[in-house]
Amino acid sequence: MGRVGWKLWVLLGAVIIPLALVPQWGVSGYILRFLTLVFMWVALSGCWNLMSGYTGYVDFGPVVYFGIGCYTVALLMTRGGISFFAGVPIGAVVAGLIALSIGIPTLRLRGGYFAIATFAFAEGMKQIILEFDRVFGVDFFGGSHGITLPIGPTNLFFYYCMFVAALLVMGVTLWVENSKFGYALKAIHQAENTAEITGIDTAGVKMRAYGMSALLLGGIGGIYTYWITYITPQDVFSVHMTVHMVIMTLLGGMGTFLGPVVGATFLTVIEETLWARFIYTYLVIVGGIILVVVIFMPRGVVGTLKRRSLR
Amino acid sequence: MGVLMGQALVNGILLGGIYAAYSAGFSLIFGVMGVVNLAHGELVMLGAFITYWIFFLFRFDPFLTIPVSFAVLFVLGYLLQRLIINRVIEEPPIMSYLATFGLHLIIANIALLWWPADFRTVTTSYSGINFSLGGIIIPYARLATFGIALMVVGLLYYIVYKTDMGRAMQATAQDKQMARLMGIKVERVYAMTFALGAGITGLSGSLISTYFVIFPFMGMEYTITAFCVVVLGGMGYIPGVLIGGLILGILQSFAAIFLTTGISMALTFIILFLVLVIRPAGVVGKGIIE
Repeated sequence: MGRVGWKLWVLLGAVIIPLALVPQWGVSGYILRFLTLVFMWVALSGCWNLMSGYTGYVDFGPVVYFGIGCYTVALLMTRGGISFFAGVPIGAVVAGLIALSIGIPTLRLRGGYFAIATFAFAEGMKQIILEFDRVFGVDFFGGSHGITLPIGPTNLFFYYCMFVAALLVMGVTLWVENSKFGYALKAIHQAENTAEITGIDTAGVKMRAYGMSALLLGGIGGIYTYWITYITPQDVFSVHMTVHMVIMTLLGGMGTFLGPVVGATFLTVIEETLWARFIYTYLVIVGGIILVVVIFMPRGVVGTLKRRSLR
Repeated sequence: MGVLMGQALVNGILLGGIYAAYSAGFSLIFGVMGVVNLAHGELVMLGAFITYWIFFLFRFDPFLTIPVSFAVLFVLGYLLQRLIINRVIEEPPIMSYLATFGLHLIIANIALLWWPADFRTVTTSYSGINFSLGGIIIPYARLATFGIALMVVGLLYYIVYKTDMGRAMQATAQDKQMARLMGIKVERVYAMTFALGAGITGLSGSLISTYFVIFPFMGMEYTITAFCVVVLGGMGYIPGVLIGGLILGILQSFAAIFLTTGISMALTFIILFLVLVIRPAGVVGKGIIE
């Protein structure tokens, strides 16, 4: 961690320590739930950034691993009688294993083809879970009705769960940023063929990044399931979740440690305020924000600042 | 059973023609500009609504509104390219995915504000009329739509492969810098490509309005199907859309008759995924591979 400046540690400490204490100050349930949501998006967009931000491989279906985590935990808890704490790691591992089998064929594809293949897998999975029960005449995934879980613990419990998830993803990112593994990822982003010639096992490195991202996404999905207690395929495999991860990371800056954190926080706050005020036009406004960012700030907030400080 | 199979096949072929028509623009834009247009379905939706409103307000025949939707979408496409796509085209491809996704959100949601989410249909006096061929029912309107769809793809093929503008498009697709050196105005070629792609997509939207229900949020599904058709036929290879369209149309029609419609959607994605992994250049292997 030699390259991480003391300024960053001070900054992180100044934000993380108060956030760890916030629930003790007796804030309202609304604020607590809202912050939990912010943490979730920080964690989710951080996962996308780990894979796509660093390698430049645009994954358009990360939501599938989130959804797999959701369904694994929901099924384990409702049908398997397994506790939440055991379920989340199992959900993460299931997502990770599926990512391994999907990653081998898809990671050979480049550019738009990788994006479309991952998108197709995510949408295909959603349709399969939606239709599985009807086609095989069983009652397993619950089709479009989804699965309802028993009511869980308090908001405070999930506040800390998501807080830890976000910190975990940030910690992994920080490690990647300064490790040999991270340099290999960045090398793939800049010139994959050259990276391969220099002796980097590009296929293996991409696979590890993809699997790691899926593992974390699965775990976050597991927490989300018990928090919301009601999941449907349309919700947890929604393409809009993918798009959110992408936009938040892009807004903050792809392939940077702070990018997803800044982007996720900013967009969640903006959406919460806009959604309440402009209920009919808020998606138009979100679309406008995307266009403005893409056209005027393609490197994101953190990326733009970094570039400026380098000059 | 034989008649049912035959009916499924005919339905699939007719459906495949429509798929080919509205995917051709997607393929053209990808082939020449390298842009995956995620707002493609919205162009279909706008074309369909133009026909719907002209039909609803003035009682014009839907087939007569085709030039109008072509012209309107052509101009819109030209403007979108000049104002938005042109600014992101030099950036990594993800920027163009995001820019077009932003457009998707904006167009679909503005449409939802103007025209509430009701399902609408264009029902003409001849909508229900059909003829029977050995027990297989063929509606006249669908046959006409199929014919027009084939003509659209043929015309696009002619423009891209036989005219000067088309040759400029191909040159730009192959090597942008070299094309520029040869005196081709690349920005103009891009604008024309996007305008032409949007125009024929809008036109196909008009055809679709006589076929399916239309509503402001219909776009995403059409974008996904266009993806699948174009990948099957080979990205950027214009005649490929006919192959991709027919394969997908026939498969979906069989799945819908013998299984459920939900499964036919799942099938679309599974095929899309498998083709990308096994044969990314499309079934006939003439697509562009990055």
